[in-house]
Amino acid sequence: MNDASPKPSPRRDAAVDQDEVLYAPRKKLYVRAVTGLFANWRWALVWITQIIFYGLPWLRWNDRQAVLFHLTERKFYIFGWVFWPQDVFFLAILLIISAYALFFFTAVAGRLWCGYACPQTVYTEIFMWIEQKIEGDHNKRQKLDQAPMSGRKLAIRSAKYGAWALLSLWTGFTFVAYFSPLQELLQSVTTFGFGPWELFWILFYGSFTYLFAGIMREQVCKYMCPYARFQSVMFDPDTLVITYDEERGEPRGTRRKGIDPRSVGKGDCIDCGICVQVCPTGIDIRKGLQYECIGCAACIDACDQVMDKMNYPRGLIRYSTENALRQHWGSKEIVAHVMRPRTLLYGAVLALVCVGFVWGLAMREPLRVDVIRDRASLAREVEDGMIENVYRLQVMNMTEAARNFNLAVSGLEGVKIDGDGKVKVGPAATEAVTLRVLVPYDSGKPGANEIAFDVKAEDDPSLTVHEKTTFLFPR
Amino acid sequence: MRKWILVLWPSFLVAALAEGVFFTVVDPQELYLFGKPVHYSALATYSIGFIGFWLVCAASSLTTIFLQRPATELNQPSRHH
Ligand code: SF4
Ligand code: SF4
Repeated sequence: MNDASPKPSPRRDAAVDQDEVLYAPRKKLYVRAVTGLFANWRWALVWITQIIFYGLPWLRWNDRQAVLFHLTERKFYIFGWVFWPQDVFFLAILLIISAYALFFFTAVAGRLWCGYACPQTVYTEIFMWIEQKIEGDHNKRQKLDQAPMSGRKLAIRSAKYGAWALLSLWTGFTFVAYFSPLQELLQSVTTFGFGPWELFWILFYGSFTYLFAGIMREQVCKYMCPYARFQSVMFDPDTLVITYDEERGEPRGTRRKGIDPRSVGKGDCIDCGICVQVCPTGIDIRKGLQYECIGCAACIDACDQVMDKMNYPRGLIRYSTENALRQHWGSKEIVAHVMRPRTLLYGAVLALVCVGFVWGLAMREPLRVDVIRDRASLAREVEDGMIENVYRLQVMNMTEAARNFNLAVSGLEGVKIDGDGKVKVGPAATEAVTLRVLVPYDSGKPGANEIAFDVKAEDDPSLTVHEKTTFLFPR
Repeated sequence: MRKWILVLWPSFLVAALAEGVFFTVVDPQELYLFGKPVHYSALATYSIGFIGFWLVCAASSLTTIFLQRPATELNQPSRHH
C-alpha cells in the first residue's frame, strides 16, 4: 500500500534458501559399497526383518493363517491370540512400548533404528545391492549414467528396473497378505482375479517401495521422516553417536605410507574421502554431527579399512560420546555413563509398560459378552402377568475351540429366560443371541431394575462372565 | 514438486493415523451413507475411508501452503517461481 517494493523479510529469505536447496536437482549419489563389522550387522538385520516380513503370512496355526490382521472380520490373529476391536487397549500399549523403546535406544546410542532396522534403510540396502550386482560399483554406475543411450545401457537399465519392480510387487503382495488371507490372494494370482482394492493396495505399496528405496532414498530420511526431525531432542552429551575424532585426525592430508604422521605435522586422516563416498546420505562426518546422519556406521567400516591399510589404530571414526571425546574417556567410562537419569527413566517406564502388557495378556478373559437391551420393544406385559424385556447378547469366544455356553439370569425374584438359554459359539467367533427375559410383575419396581447375565462354558466352569444390565418395568 | 510432496506426504501420515483410530472405533458395517447402510465390502469401505481422510488432510495442507504465501509474492502477482 504505502511501500511499493516491500523488503523481503528475513523469514522469506530463509524460505527462499530452503526452496532452492529442495528445488535444486538433487545431486545423485553413487554410494560406494562397504564391508565390515557394522555392514555385517546391517545385513544381519536385513535378513532377520525380511525373513519375518516375507515369511510370516505363509505360516499356519491351528488351520488358519498364523498372523493376519483380518480387516473384513475385524479380528487380528497373532498365533494363539485373537484380538477384537475391544482390545484396542493392547494396541495402544504396544504403541507406547514402541515409542519408549525408540526413546531409550536413541538416548543410549542415537539413531540405531535408522541405521539398522528402519524399512527405509533395509529396502534401500536391498535395492542398492541389486543395483550393484547389475550395474557394477559406484564408478561404473556413474559412467553408465553419463554414457549415451545404447543397446547395452538399455539392457542393463531394464534389468535393474525390472528386478526392482519384481521385488516391489512381491513386497506389495506380502503387505496385502497381512490384511487379506494369503490363500485367497494366491488363488487370485493364478486366475488374476484380485479384488479391485486388493490389486490397488498391492500396486500402491509396491510403488511406494520402488519410489522410496529405488529413487528417493536418502531424501526420505532428510525431508520426509518425522523421527529424523525430533530425534536430537533425545540426545545428550552421553549419547553414543558416530563421531570423527578431530583431535586425532587433524590436520588431515595425504602422506606416504609408513611414515609417522606426527613427524610431518599431520593427523591420522589421510583425506582419502572414502568416508564420504560410502555415506548413503552424502555427508562428510568430519564436519561433525549433522541431522542428516542416519547413524549407519558405513563410514566407520570404511575408515577402519583405511586405518588398517595405513597401519594406524582403528577408530578414527567410531561410536563415541560428546563427553568421552572431550574428556578422553575410554570405553569403560563410556559404558559407565550409559546409566544416567534419562536412560534410567526411559528404561524404567519401558520395563513397567512391558510388564503391564504381558500381565494384561495373561489376565485376558477368553470370553466376552456384550449385552444390549432391545430398544425397539420396551417392557411388555405378557401372559400370566409376566413382564418381558428383550436383550441381544454378543457372546465372543476367543478360544480356539468351539464351545457351548449356558446362559442364566439373576437379580430379581422369579426372573427367567424364555427358552433353553444355550448358545454354541465356534472357535474365535462371535454369536449373537436374542433373549426374552420374563419377570413376575410384582417382583420389581417401576422403572429400571438391576439384573445380571451369567454366561458359562459347558465344558469349563472357570470360563464364565458376569454381565450387569437393567430390566425395565412399565410405570 | 516440492509443494506437492509438502501437501501429500504429511496428509498421508495423518490420514493413516486417522484411519486407524476411526475404524478401530467404528465398524464399517454400522455406517450409513445417505440414509442407507453401506453396502460396499469391508475392504472397499476401509480403502475409500483412507482416501477420504487423505483428501481432507491434503486439503488442509494445501490451505496452509496457500495462506503461507508471503506478502512479497502476493504483491507481485506476475512473479512466478
Ligand atoms: S575415511 Fe578416514 S582417513 Fe579417509 S578421509 Fe575419511 S576420516 Fe579421513
Ligand atoms: S555420516 Fe553417513 S556413513 Fe557415516 S554414519 Fe552418518 S549416514 Fe552413515
